[in-house]
Amino acid sequence: MDKKASFIPRGLYPLRTKRIFTISAVVVIGFYLLSSIITESFIIDFFIKIPNIFGLIGDFFPPDWGYVEQIWPKLFETIHMAIIATTLAVLISIPFSLLAARNVMTNSIIYQFMRFILNIIRTIPDIILAVVFVGLFGIGAFSGIIALIIFAVGILVKLMSEIIEAIDMNPTEAIRSTGGNALQTISYAIVPQILPQFISFSLYVFEINIRASVVLGLVGAGGVGQLINKEINFMNYPAVSTIVIIIFVVVVIIDFISAKLREGLL
Amino acid sequence: MIEFQNVSLVYPNGTQGLKDINIKINQGEFVVIVGLSGAGKSTFIRSINRLVTPTDGALLVDSNDILRLKGKELRKLRTKIGMIFQNYNLVRRSTVMKNVISGRLGYTGTWKSIFNIFSKEEQLLAYENLKRVNIEEKLYNRADELSGGQQQRVSIARVLTQQPKLILADEPVASLDPPTSHQVMQYLKQINQEDHITTIVNLHFIDMAIEYADRIIGMRAGEIVFDGPASEVTEKTFEEIYGRSIREEDKRGGGEIDG
Amino acid sequence: MAKNVEITLPTKPRSKWTLIKRIITLIIIVWIYIWTISSVTIKWDVIFSSRTMENFDRIIPRFFQPAWQETSSIFGKMFETIFIAYTGSLAAAVLAVPLAFLCATNIVRNKFLNNIGMWILGAVRAFPEIILAIIFVAAVGPNAFAGVLAIAIGSTGMLGKLYAEVIESIDMDIMEALEASGANKLQILFYGILPQVLPEFLSYAIYRFEIDVRASSVLGIVGAGGIGTLITFAYMNRNWEEVGMILLVIIITVTIIDQISGFIRKRLV
Repeated sequence: MDKKASFIPRGLYPLRTKRIFTISAVVVIGFYLLSSIITESFIIDFFIKIPNIFGLIGDFFPPDWGYVEQIWPKLFETIHMAIIATTLAVLISIPFSLLAARNVMTNSIIYQFMRFILNIIRTIPDIILAVVFVGLFGIGAFSGIIALIIFAVGILVKLMSEIIEAIDMNPTEAIRSTGGNALQTISYAIVPQILPQFISFSLYVFEINIRASVVLGLVGAGGVGQLINKEINFMNYPAVSTIVIIIFVVVVIIDFISAKLREGLL
Repeated sequence: MIEFQNVSLVYPNGTQGLKDINIKINQGEFVVIVGLSGAGKSTFIRSINRLVTPTDGALLVDSNDILRLKGKELRKLRTKIGMIFQNYNLVRRSTVMKNVISGRLGYTGTWKSIFNIFSKEEQLLAYENLKRVNIEEKLYNRADELSGGQQQRVSIARVLTQQPKLILADEPVASLDPPTSHQVMQYLKQINQEDHITTIVNLHFIDMAIEYADRIIGMRAGEIVFDGPASEVTEKTFEEIYGRSIREEDKRGGGEIDG
Repeated sequence: MAKNVEITLPTKPRSKWTLIKRIITLIIIVWIYIWTISSVTIKWDVIFSSRTMENFDRIIPRFFQPAWQETSSIFGKMFETIFIAYTGSLAAAVLAVPLAFLCATNIVRNKFLNNIGMWILGAVRAFPEIILAIIFVAAVGPNAFAGVLAIAIGSTGMLGKLYAEVIESIDMDIMEALEASGANKLQILFYGILPQVLPEFLSYAIYRFEIDVRASSVLGIVGAGGIGTLITFAYMNRNWEEVGMILLVIIITVTIIDQISGFIRKRLV
């Protein structure tokens, strides 16, 4: 008991941990100061500029409700783009997610290649895809849909392949032992395990696509974003706030419905 | 000294936790409270440090009625009462040292404690208490790296760091295996004898109660149905307390193994 | 399978409602698709015209000849992008904490306040960052600060929700232990709650930073600073070599940041 009588604990953490804490804190705060200087955005600025922000909010109000009539067609276009893109993306994702699942795709070269492509696709922001496709196909919903499909496939294949990798392979054995063929094995042992998540993720991606398709219009890829761009350029702020409020309401409603559906599924 | 005077407790949902309790517990006693689960053992123990508040009667700790205490005074009372839990209740991600020194929080100013400022004496006290339960080499380990028995020892060290006059232990060995259970009980008994700290332990193992207690209190349905020295207690007494015959699960066993 | 013995299967315990619900759902889905396909306007003749073919021939090869001479200006803007994301996510990581505690039902035992918190977070999440950026550009001018504000506000919604889930999953028994030792509310927060939640908070904040780097790389399209500014110019000037180069830089940067953040997050929890 007396062997360490002279030992005195120094604080609540070992020295090494303390050092790591200190260094991390210095790095985080230092980087924060540096980036505040470079982007000229100190948090104080926010409070200094609050009058500006509230002044502008004054410009945005009251919303121009007469403008609503002009919003519907473009808003519906946005929703249509999201529906079409999500549907096609789901169909495209199914074979690809099988290719990107380690337990199905035993060929590691194809598997690694799929993962590589997926990772690259997921780094490209949706709006840049839209820029490229607008350049190729011209202004309109078609370019937006293509951009959304690629964007959504990137997310879906990742999520779905992870689900496939996590399934319990024992039921496949059980079905096969009763004499089921390959197709029967898939439909009785694999599909029931993954279907709820597949649908859930599809709805989730649909939610993401709604938000994404709202903004694609900013670069001419169809939908309600085009209106925002136009009215901002005309400084027609009451119209902008009408659009923003309508988008907000629609997004909230769609999220709510989709969340309820997903809850029911899982 | 602790004195219950006509103490009753009715929970908001109508359950009667305690029914007209009258009892005195003297300084330095090692009391074991036995009873089936739901008999009111936990409520009894938690009344003493006011984690629950009796709805009727008076509860005197050193001649002060603690049922009237509020805010700062209540926290001051609690610093003098240590408590040990069935699930150890350590912050699993914090170091053993931080867990033990959190016993000093009641004595430490808020700002000082937020910046982890504790005096040399307090840190040394924490370390000495870890030594008392023979776990000082785990000082800087995270609590979740320790076994159940080790975690319970750390929680004993945390309680000692409070420098309490009274220790409450709510089923301290229910989550442990027999040898570790005896080890933990031996530490509690040893502390009780060396420091003359009044110790009240909830147990449902009859063999451990007889082995370690000075005095046994039996509870059933919120009432005290037995109170006497451990030497007078037999299996028959327990059958009366429990209202049924004794089963194998009522015994911890392993008492012969001297940990 | 004796022929003469009538075997009646027990009726499936499914009410008529389930069937009706399914039929209604099916009808709604079919109707949505008919509505979508019949009303979406795609000018197929324009899309599959000779002009598109020319575009392909003209644009795609230029895409794969990145404009190396622009490297320094592109990297400069990419760093600005990272700094915007960093400042914004750090602000959000802090802002989200009080909101998350407000939402956590095990900390604030008041359904009304919980719902207010949830409502604020939900409202913030409904806006895409770029829409927020448009509003902030109008408010504080076309600069990086507008981008920082958009990122900060946009990230608060998601982080607040994730934080709240972390807080709701903590072990509450520890509160009792600290309370029993005479600790006050603030001490319980710092010794009981924060040690349990901070690693996850940090991990989520870093994860959000990954997302924010992607998000802030396009904010420049509406004037909120960062590499997106260059995208607009390059695109307007039909400078596809530069678009290709910008895309390359974004892909590389985002990949590197994802790797670093994945590494840190693995060590945190």
